[in-house]
Amino acid sequence: MPLQAAGMAFSYLAAASVASAILAVTRRNPVHSMLWVLALFLHVAGIFLMAGAQLLAAVQVIVYAGAILVFYLFVLMLLDLPSETAGPRFGAHWPLCAAAGIAFAALAWYAEEPGLASSAGRTADGGPRPVSLSEVGTALFTQFALPFEIASLVLLAAIVGAVVVAKRKKES
Amino acid sequence: MVPVGACLGLSAILFGIGLIGFLARRNIILVLVSVEIMLNAVNVSLAAFSQHLHDPRGQILALFVIAVAAAEAAVGLGLVIALGRNRPGISMEELTDLKW
Repeated sequence: MPLQAAGMAFSYLAAASVASAILAVTRRNPVHSMLWVLALFLHVAGIFLMAGAQLLAAVQVIVYAGAILVFYLFVLMLLDLPSETAGPRFGAHWPLCAAAGIAFAALAWYAEEPGLASSAGRTADGGPRPVSLSEVGTALFTQFALPFEIASLVLLAAIVGAVVVAKRKKES
Repeated sequence: MVPVGACLGLSAILFGIGLIGFLARRNIILVLVSVEIMLNAVNVSLAAFSQHLHDPRGQILALFVIAVAAAEAAVGLGLVIALGRNRPGISMEELTDLKW
């Protein structure tokens, strides 16, 4: 891909993800918010692709957009909150919250290390080498095999915990 | 290939937006979704570092972040269902039973 086209694609993806994140946080109807979050997740998947993380892009679409977001939508529709769209969508202290968020983003923006854009990990011709999918897979199933298995235990515990918490108590 | 600085700036902005949503929204489900936005912002910076340093560990850490986010969604929404069954509304401002 030519460099300029890649830059334009990244600019579009970044602008669209920021815009859909702002819309997701500010929409009054929770279902509309969810759909903007879906747009955000798909654009972030595009950014993953541009950063050379194909596996992350696929997992982002399948797990985040496909499973987690649908789960949120199910619960949102299960609870059915007609009163929710009538009241104010933000708490009374929202200017303070907005100031905190903007201050954090500004701090994270300016805290970037000057030496970060150094030549570490670059090839001789100056361009970064992409991490190949097989490298990720090899590391995941050799060096990180134990954490990988523990992740399945974490998910099992979370599922059992969710069932226990959400279960209807027997009348006694 | 995208420059790492641009990815980090985007990540900072997305995290800030998620933080605003987490602190300011009244709907408890949207508060949980804002947490997901913040986790996604962190994943963007992890992927950028993985590309910049040519190290697959960044992507693997992002995969574990996604797994933990799924677990968090399951437990958090279980709590929301239990709350919604026992109370009329699930606004953050009404959940003050533990306040002193």
